[in-house]
Amino acid sequence: MADSPKTTFSRRGFLKGAGVTAATTVIESANALARETKDALHSDRAVGPGSVPVKLHINGHEYSVAIEPRYTLAETLRDNLGLTGTKVVCDRGSCSACTVWIDKTPALACMTLAIDVVGRQITTIEGLSHGDTMHQVQAAFVKHDAMQCGFCTPGMVMSCAALLDRNPNPKLADVKHAVSGNLCRCGTYPKVFAATLDVAQQRRQTAGLVALVTEREA
Amino acid sequence: MNKFVFVDCKTVDEALGQMSDGAIVKAGGIDLLDLMKDGIVTPPKLVNIRNISSLQGITAGKDGLHLGPLSTLSEIAAHPEIQKNYTALANAAGHAATPQVRNMATLGGNIMQRPRCWYFRSSEFDCKKKNGASDDCHAHTGENQYHAIMNNETCAMVHPSSTAVPLLAMNAQVELTSKRGKRTVAMSEFYVPPEKSLINETVVQPGELITGVFVPVPEPGTRSAYQKYGEKESFDWPLADAGVVLVMDGTHCRKAWIVLGVAAPTPIRSTAAEAVLTGKTIDEATARAAASAAMKDATPLSQNGFKTQLFQTAIYRTVLLAAGQMQPDPSAIG
Amino acid sequence: MAPQSDATKPAAPNRTETFVWGIPQNGLQSKERQVGRDEPPPLPANSELTYIGKPTERYDGPAKAMGKGKYTADINLPGMLYARMIDATIPHGRIVSIDTSEAEKLPGVRAVHVIEHVYGVAELRDPKMEAPSRYPVIRYYGQPIAGVAAISQQIANDAAQLVKVKYDTLAFVVDRSDARAEDAPMVFPGPADAAGSAGGGGGPKGVPQTGNVHGPQQKKNGDVEKGFAEADVIVEGEYFTQVQTHSALETHGFVVDWKPDEVTVYASTQGTSSVRNEFADVFKLPKNKIRVITEYMGGGFGAKFGAGNEGVVAANLSRKANAPVKLMLDRRQEHIVCNRPDSHQKLKVGAKRDGTLTAIALTSYGTAGVGTGAGTAGPANNMYKCPNILTEEYDVFVNAGPGAAFRAPGHPQGCFAFEQTIDDLAAKLNIDPLTLRETIDENPARKVERQIILERTNWRNRKPAGSDSGPVKRGMGIAQSVWYRFVNMNSSCEVRVSRDGSVELLSAVQDLGTGTKTMLAVIVAEEFGIPPASVGIRIGDTRFPIGPDSGGSVTAGSITPAARNASYQVKQKLFAAVAPQLGTTADNLVLKGGRVAFKNDPSKSYTLKQVTAKMPTDEISAQATRVAEYSKERITYGGVDYVELAVDTETGRVHIEKVFGAHDCGRPINPLGVISQINGGILQGISYALFEQRIMDRNAGYMLNANLENYKILGAREVPEIEVVLVENYIAQSSTDAAGIGESAGIITLAAAIGNAFYNATGVRMRKIPMTPANVLSALGKVQEVQA
Repeated sequence: MADSPKTTFSRRGFLKGAGVTAATTVIESANALARETKDALHSDRAVGPGSVPVKLHINGHEYSVAIEPRYTLAETLRDNLGLTGTKVVCDRGSCSACTVWIDKTPALACMTLAIDVVGRQITTIEGLSHGDTMHQVQAAFVKHDAMQCGFCTPGMVMSCAALLDRNPNPKLADVKHAVSGNLCRCGTYPKVFAATLDVAQQRRQTAGLVALVTEREA
Repeated sequence: MNKFVFVDCKTVDEALGQMSDGAIVKAGGIDLLDLMKDGIVTPPKLVNIRNISSLQGITAGKDGLHLGPLSTLSEIAAHPEIQKNYTALANAAGHAATPQVRNMATLGGNIMQRPRCWYFRSSEFDCKKKNGASDDCHAHTGENQYHAIMNNETCAMVHPSSTAVPLLAMNAQVELTSKRGKRTVAMSEFYVPPEKSLINETVVQPGELITGVFVPVPEPGTRSAYQKYGEKESFDWPLADAGVVLVMDGTHCRKAWIVLGVAAPTPIRSTAAEAVLTGKTIDEATARAAASAAMKDATPLSQNGFKTQLFQTAIYRTVLLAAGQMQPDPSAIG
Repeated sequence: MAPQSDATKPAAPNRTETFVWGIPQNGLQSKERQVGRDEPPPLPANSELTYIGKPTERYDGPAKAMGKGKYTADINLPGMLYARMIDATIPHGRIVSIDTSEAEKLPGVRAVHVIEHVYGVAELRDPKMEAPSRYPVIRYYGQPIAGVAAISQQIANDAAQLVKVKYDTLAFVVDRSDARAEDAPMVFPGPADAAGSAGGGGGPKGVPQTGNVHGPQQKKNGDVEKGFAEADVIVEGEYFTQVQTHSALETHGFVVDWKPDEVTVYASTQGTSSVRNEFADVFKLPKNKIRVITEYMGGGFGAKFGAGNEGVVAANLSRKANAPVKLMLDRRQEHIVCNRPDSHQKLKVGAKRDGTLTAIALTSYGTAGVGTGAGTAGPANNMYKCPNILTEEYDVFVNAGPGAAFRAPGHPQGCFAFEQTIDDLAAKLNIDPLTLRETIDENPARKVERQIILERTNWRNRKPAGSDSGPVKRGMGIAQSVWYRFVNMNSSCEVRVSRDGSVELLSAVQDLGTGTKTMLAVIVAEEFGIPPASVGIRIGDTRFPIGPDSGGSVTAGSITPAARNASYQVKQKLFAAVAPQLGTTADNLVLKGGRVAFKNDPSKSYTLKQVTAKMPTDEISAQATRVAEYSKERITYGGVDYVELAVDTETGRVHIEKVFGAHDCGRPINPLGVISQINGGILQGISYALFEQRIMDRNAGYMLNANLENYKILGAREVPEIEVVLVENYIAQSSTDAAGIGESAGIITLAAAIGNAFYNATGVRMRKIPMTPANVLSALGKVQEVQA
């Protein structure tokens, strides 16, 4: 009888605590959690590990919510705030389905701790439309059928809308670059490209008209 | 993910004061959350340094380039001075991971990434790099198509940092700060190969924080490039990559630095390749000769022999790109 | 694909109608059919219709674009618990004990359920061959064992870590060729069979089994020995394909709300009916106590039918906790839960000098893990005219997650081998590959499609194989697909007209993202002359009339006739109800362009609203069920895909530069959606050909890349220029003549077309996918073999 078929690999959880990390090197000790929890009491800024009340700014609204520091922004949006437009697909930053804007910059809600965005402005897919009025990019996605199952769509829209905000004249390669992290399993990419380029053209035409009118009025 | 205490720090001193037993520093958090979600690290406390303003910012001065370790890869890639004079670094930062990751990931976190090895990154496998309880390197007897082809006898991990490759080629220095003070470590000394330590991948000690990265100003005539190759062009981990810095006099190469990223457990300079180029006219033949020299001592594993071919391609094409004799390769990632 | 009801038994005919028949490019013809009393009049060709055949925006597009669509993963019910599945951490063995006490003690945990039976895997013909145990035998790493439900997902995840399982381990094997060895560890101690799902998969039952090798399933036509003896030319080839995982973006999952009077099941499924059927079977419940809802669904591709182990666990947890429970698999579990089997195929084809085929022989071995259904013989048996065919398909059991239906089961694998062999034959005969197919292919749609390819692509400038000098070599290639017209008779719709003039359709059929809602809206819209967006479409709920499970491209062909017939019938009821008030008879009324007019006096016409206002009741409704095909014929569909690519022979990267697809799907209902689906098939086909592969550690039996960073799926930068031409093909078989496109859309052909283009570029035949740098450089002889 054995817990595992080979002695060369461990049971799940056996290795917890081998401790070199992304920004510094530390060695974890067995009682660390208890000690640190106590230490935390002496620091103004230390919170957790249990629930902490925070205020989050999402789509122009302030939400009060109790979260543990370990909750990701994606989990908090979906499970605690009912904002389920943001999808979780890989949960590891590989697919960009959970793309939201943090202070207008596309970021991964699954790789962001909710507690880390207190004080930042979060925009989710729900914040792009106004009531039933779609954002221009959303409308173009519908027009071009840039979706099939639709599970990647919120992330795609967030990536494409952000691209157009910073680059009003994207080429096909720019659109591909902007969504190079967004996976779509149904294979809807060609229409995502078409929809995004279409919005850019619509905006150019609008801008052109505005310029024309301004010129004539001047 | 395990439960933890979260401490948001606004100054380096505050962060240093919080970095006691078990605490792990969080910057962009990309690699850290990846590891925590897979149960590879389970810190009781995260010290959040992401909001420390003194660790942010990029300054390109007469002496060189000062990079705050919290500079995101997007900021580095988009910086005009870096694009112009430190091209390979802009390339490496701009082609790492995905646009969203680049918006979040920091330079400090990028160079501090943990090993890229699917045995290391699965809590189902023990290995000597994790706690030394097993003598095996699973990659040696298992699936090793993505693993190291050089210096791979002890551990066949690769280091995934793209930016480390040009930083090494550009003789960058890393400033480390602890309660005891500051020290500066050359990029060439920054990584610790598995033969020297199975646990530490870098010289960063407990209680130390990266507080700056400095790249000296390039000599006149310097040109550089970085390219990486994988199975896809959209987001993929590289199977071969090359950072090339050339000091050129027309087509004549006065000095060369060639650094390979995912060939070995740490980014490595190929002095053999550099020797082939130094003092020569750069053309396709010399570039290929350098590439071939770089792979002379490769020791591929059972499934990754193809990486030596891929590295040769990466090296010769990136040398030609750096020399201005080739366009960026559509086969490359990013 | 779906189990086929007897769609060939014609309904009692009582009139003869003349239908449009054929392919426009060949000149449309007409065909007389006997049809039933309730059948609507025949539709003319799409060119004469208002909404059918015209691009229509996706019915639920705005909801999807705005993130408002509620997928199963998005369901949040009051008091809902979150669950985590606990799975095996060994590849083979017996569970000695499961200790859930620590998990149960964790604050916030509400229920734990240990699985007693594993669904979706092969089962021993004689269960007595294994010692009885209260726990199922573990046969693969990741096999579900238990589930835990808690007040948050994080607590459920924590609790899952606290469940302790002790195993007695058994020897295991995860590699197909290792598993064929005489002394290989046995996955099952004796013969075992697996049933397919509503989406297909599964293998033959009762065939011989030796060790882990289950089969062969033999299909024989004529005498291949004789056929090869008659051949002037014989080509042979050996091909290898990999295991592909479905990787739907929404993982498998359920929200189950178990109440004594009714069990409500939100399911990420391709078949609301299949879920209800399996829940009824497993829990011994009458179907009227089970309600299944699938309003939005994040992709299935064949993986999501029935209750699944996760559905059964969620239901048990909900029953125990007396609260709704959400159980979504995590991404790792999604990669393990099922897959497209791999293959090792040996093909031999004989032909006369003019290309006429004389014999086809195929032997295939494939592993569906602990399931069956790895056969690949579809294309060899069904694509071309050949008097002598022998195919032998073997399943090889290994200790890995079960195979399942996956978009055109068996066909991408089969086509990869078969269509490259046909190209080899063309080369050996010195005949152009398109010309050779003219000789051997009798399918009229593919004939038109080849002509389109010839006229609209660069094919005529194709150079001899391996012509390019330099490291980057370009080539072009084609391949053809075959799929079959299946009809599921469990296809019903109700259409209601309300006094306010609004029209709605109700059916349990689900929309996987294939556009079912839009297609149904178009059908109703055409019948009433009102815009599709104004039709109410309420589907994906078993409270509505039964719908077909969506597998094998059956949905469009099965449900649209029911939708049209219900629309037509409710219209007749409406006419009958209002005719007296309009001062005429029902048969004098016609609905055209949104107006109801007198046939004998077109000057008399009313808006639909004016007419419905005269209804004697607030609502008139009609329900229709799919009637049998009008005529008993065996009908196949197909497509021809053309690929231009560049092979970088120094990186081993294959860049697809252009794909041109010509495809047939009966009468296209919404070309906008159909083209989306074909784009998707093409891109999934490229992804299969170039990137995707399950990587198992053979020492641990563990899937190393059960994530989306190392299980590689095509991304935006790998998307080539794609052009698609839809070929209309009227077959006069139903009141709509629609057909699905999911299977034949690119996924079948692309690996083969890329293989043929690769050969044209390099002069080297790729016999193995995925065409990664490792495999390509190896095929090109650029990798020194390294001994482990």
